[in-house]
Amino acid sequence: MRRLFLVLSNDVRRHLKSPLAILIYMAIPMVMTGLIGVIFAPRTEEGQLPPIQVLLVDHDKGLASKLVLGTFDVDQMKKMFRVTVTDEADGRKRMEKGRASAMVVIPEGFTLDLLDARTTTLTVVKNPAEQFLPDVVEEFVNTLAVMLSGVVQAFAAEVQGVRAMLEAPADAFPWEKLGPELGKAQKKIVAARTYLSPLLIRLKAEETRAAGAKTRFTRTDLFSIMLPGMAVMFLLFIVQTLMRDIISEREDGKLRRMMTTPLRPIELVGARLLGGWVMGLAVLLVMAAFGTLIFRAAWGPFGYFLLLGAAASFWTAAFFGCFHALVRNRNQAGAFGAPIILAFSLFGGSMMNPEAMPKAFLAVGVATPNRWFIDGAALVRDGRFPAASLAVLVVSGLVLTALAVPALRRRTSV
Amino acid sequence: MLEIKNLTKSFGDILALDRFSLELGKGEVLGLLGPNGAGKTTLISILAGTLGDFSGGVTFLGRDLFADRSLKNRMGVVPQDMAFYDELSAMDNLMFWGGLYDVPRPELKRRAAELLELVELAGRAKEPVKNFSGGMKRRLNTAIGLLHRPDLLLLDEPTVGIDVQAKVSILDIIRGVGASGTAVIFTTHQLAEVETTCSRIAIMDRGRILAQGSLDELVRIVGERDVVEIVGEFAAAPFSEALQGLAGDRVELLSAADGLASLAVADTEEIPRIMDRLFRHKLAVTDMKIKSPSLETVFLKLTGRNLRD
Repeated sequence: MRRLFLVLSNDVRRHLKSPLAILIYMAIPMVMTGLIGVIFAPRTEEGQLPPIQVLLVDHDKGLASKLVLGTFDVDQMKKMFRVTVTDEADGRKRMEKGRASAMVVIPEGFTLDLLDARTTTLTVVKNPAEQFLPDVVEEFVNTLAVMLSGVVQAFAAEVQGVRAMLEAPADAFPWEKLGPELGKAQKKIVAARTYLSPLLIRLKAEETRAAGAKTRFTRTDLFSIMLPGMAVMFLLFIVQTLMRDIISEREDGKLRRMMTTPLRPIELVGARLLGGWVMGLAVLLVMAAFGTLIFRAAWGPFGYFLLLGAAASFWTAAFFGCFHALVRNRNQAGAFGAPIILAFSLFGGSMMNPEAMPKAFLAVGVATPNRWFIDGAALVRDGRFPAASLAVLVVSGLVLTALAVPALRRRTSV
Repeated sequence: MLEIKNLTKSFGDILALDRFSLELGKGEVLGLLGPNGAGKTTLISILAGTLGDFSGGVTFLGRDLFADRSLKNRMGVVPQDMAFYDELSAMDNLMFWGGLYDVPRPELKRRAAELLELVELAGRAKEPVKNFSGGMKRRLNTAIGLLHRPDLLLLDEPTVGIDVQAKVSILDIIRGVGASGTAVIFTTHQLAEVETTCSRIAIMDRGRILAQGSLDELVRIVGERDVVEIVGEFAAAPFSEALQGLAGDRVELLSAADGLASLAVADTEEIPRIMDRLFRHKLAVTDMKIKSPSLETVFLKLTGRNLRD
């Protein structure tokens, strides 16, 4: 074991001394992601967030619902929200198609419930495919609910007066009472410093559950989705480069020299596989960190991502262990390695959105590490444990390792 | 210390080692001399443990070399390839390769520094090896084989492709290693190298040792006779026929090829007789050289060809 770690640490030292190839492979996915992001992400004014698409369903059509709608119509809010008033059926349909970030549903009798100081509920339906924008809508409506509740409770007596006025026939509207009522309200506004509780308006948050709801991407969302695909593609390139030592050391005589020392073939094979795994994982984590720094890409819980990265890197090291046991020389490794990686990336979804891929591609894609890593990364991004991806990558990685070890031992034994 | 018995190795139909046997004692420096394809590298590779599928046996320090893996720690190998990492420094390379031989780290550091002095690389110990000249790389290649103070050092053509100064330096190191008690086997094409470096010389061809001994012992094989090298426009067969009847104690045909032949003569007075025969058989001679007995003439006599054929 001591010699295994000696070889491993020597490999790490060597690659750190001449890291150009690895740095290039790490930079390419960042550059490609950046370029694709610039080309395909939605345009905004000078880097500002685009207006958030909000659907508003008004079952009440009363004074309070108009007040809620009016709040979205203030100039400052217009920059932030683009509100479309619709009916609930149409709203849900649009949400399922991912056409909006959130839908706010004002219930029937909302105004009357407020005037009678009865609890009522505003519903916010969120688009789960988006990360931040639905939360912004929810927070905004929540604040609105708190403010409205406070106002209604603080001005209970005045509200009753307003209700009486509202219920009076138009030609008998008591205009002479309006001035004193407003005067009293003004005094109360000065005195009211805190919210009253309990809140009269409650907030209910929902998410659309329709499968395949498409998102209206923000640039950040696009980066978060693209980067795992790019990262796994270049993980394959990097690990292949690292593990090409198996071939080159055989050709330039270092392997023969190693075999004249007490180093055993199994120790050398172990060092090569472990080295590919550990260095691949390290590079993947560095790429993820750069992705977060440069593109604000979200990866989800670190522990889950670490496990997924470790599984993908393990699979990759085992695969290229087998690969380098089969190819005869550096030229063959170069000639076959790149096309295999590009095929994995094409069918596995590193180069295009899997939802836009032909069915045949998807069927082939399940045999690639790219597909499982990308699927796993999507789950991790949503905070979910990528059990299926981990299981597939680890089990198939173990099978590949079982094939690679004896094959490499044969190539190493001289 | 080392006893090789009937080592035989084939590559398909080609017999690389043919019941090869040899004994080597402590501190002995054996030069293995032979043309390309003689089996020198095959022998070194089998002893180093990098070539399998052979018959015969080797005993090293009283134990079976191929059964006792711990003996690898007692043997140093300097391969023909520059087998080290170009991107690392000389010191890093020595620390890595020494680590594989289980040399404890503090001792390894001392030993690496000592060897860098010996091979005159101490001033460039921390520089990446890729910046070194061919000679410096050869010296580092040699130093790696000495890190663990082996009892047996195998060197496969350690002076190939380097300048005279670097060659002299490496040969000095080999002599020094032998003087310190390490047994050495080194292969080469260069007669001068073995003449000046080795305590024993073995001439090898087609997988077998043709003769072995000290330089003086080997020269005696040819005797006190001079060697006449004749260059001309003739084929090998007519040349041999022309000299029939002359052969005997006083004239011996050592080798004959198209356009080049060598003869050992007891006396230079035999040369006119030889020339007369050749002219009578209408064989044109364009040049002739007379050489004193040397390892080269021994090699010629034993193998029937020049070392570089």
